[in-house]
Amino acid sequence: MNRTVLIIGLAIAAVVIGVLFVSLGKDPAEIKSPLVGRVAPDFALREVGTGRTIDLAQFRGKPVVINFWATWCGPCWEEHPVLVATARQTQPQVQFVGVVFQDTEDKIQKFLDARGQAYPTLVDDRGKTAIAYGIGGVPETFFLDAKGTIVAKFNGPMTPDIIRANLQKVMQQ
Amino acid sequence: MKMRIVAVIIAAMATLALFAQNAALKVPDAQQFVGAPQGQPLSGDALHRRTGEVASLLRCPVCQGLSVADSPSEMAVNMKEQVNELLARGYTEEQILKYFELSYGQFVLLKPKFEGMNVLVWVLPLAALGLGIGIVFMKLRSLENGPAEAPISDAAAIEGDAPVDPYLARVRDLVSGEKS
Repeated sequence: MNRTVLIIGLAIAAVVIGVLFVSLGKDPAEIKSPLVGRVAPDFALREVGTGRTIDLAQFRGKPVVINFWATWCGPCWEEHPVLVATARQTQPQVQFVGVVFQDTEDKIQKFLDARGQAYPTLVDDRGKTAIAYGIGGVPETFFLDAKGTIVAKFNGPMTPDIIRANLQKVMQQ
Repeated sequence: MKMRIVAVIIAAMATLALFAQNAALKVPDAQQFVGAPQGQPLSGDALHRRTGEVASLLRCPVCQGLSVADSPSEMAVNMKEQVNELLARGYTEEQILKYFELSYGQFVLLKPKFEGMNVLVWVLPLAALGLGIGIVFMKLRSLENGPAEAPISDAAAIEGDAPVDPYLARVRDLVSGEKS
């Protein structure tokens, strides 16, 4: 009886430890989005500042980086100069696009005026684009290949190395 | 007078330009994810009631364990609006849940599906309950059989087949009133 209980207990402990080992070994910033491998949801949104409409489809033929962000998000402040610098280095071969998440146009404009910009930032009224992209917090960034397929997604602020690594994945497609 | 006409024309052109610009705007549509609506468009009280029901099946992605129906966050309000719009267009509950699942993954469903690793969520509690009942049952049986086992070990000890635990021997002596 005691031996049976011991074996059952050890089996349960082994399962729990196994699950924890597998789960804790994953990087939460690289949780796979169900959108990875699918064609990116289409959108045409208004650009902050100019008011012109930017259609995602117009960038087909080259890799696109879509960054969801907001001015109230601390990590987005940290990430902004990295994105701007990388965009300046890689454009026009790579197109960067910012999509505003739950923020106001005037705050975004002030932020961009003060901290610079190198690519269009778009307004997402009622958050429909964010919902279609499964955004739960910002910053979140999608890397699209030239055909418009989502190759990678990154949650959290990115470093130049992270952007480079993900762009390499896109280029390999 | 001429100036007023020019001003009106300019205003009309600006309005048209704005309208044209907004008309070109588009947001991702559920049709791209789950195809055309497969149900009947809802309106009025039925739409309001079903919106609450379907929203209560979705997890608010920016909250701690709250459904879209229960959360006052902007994210949940936007998601609820989208549920409302999709029901009004004739999308079924299954299509709407699938749409959100394709964006957020199964995390967004408050009721996990009975498939893959999720089966464990349903099966493990029942298995744990069964295991617990089994252990209690076995323990009770061993307690019932316990007194019968003692004489055997005593007999074995007397016959010299097994050594007598000195501590057990002392306890037995004390219980029987014999002090050593």
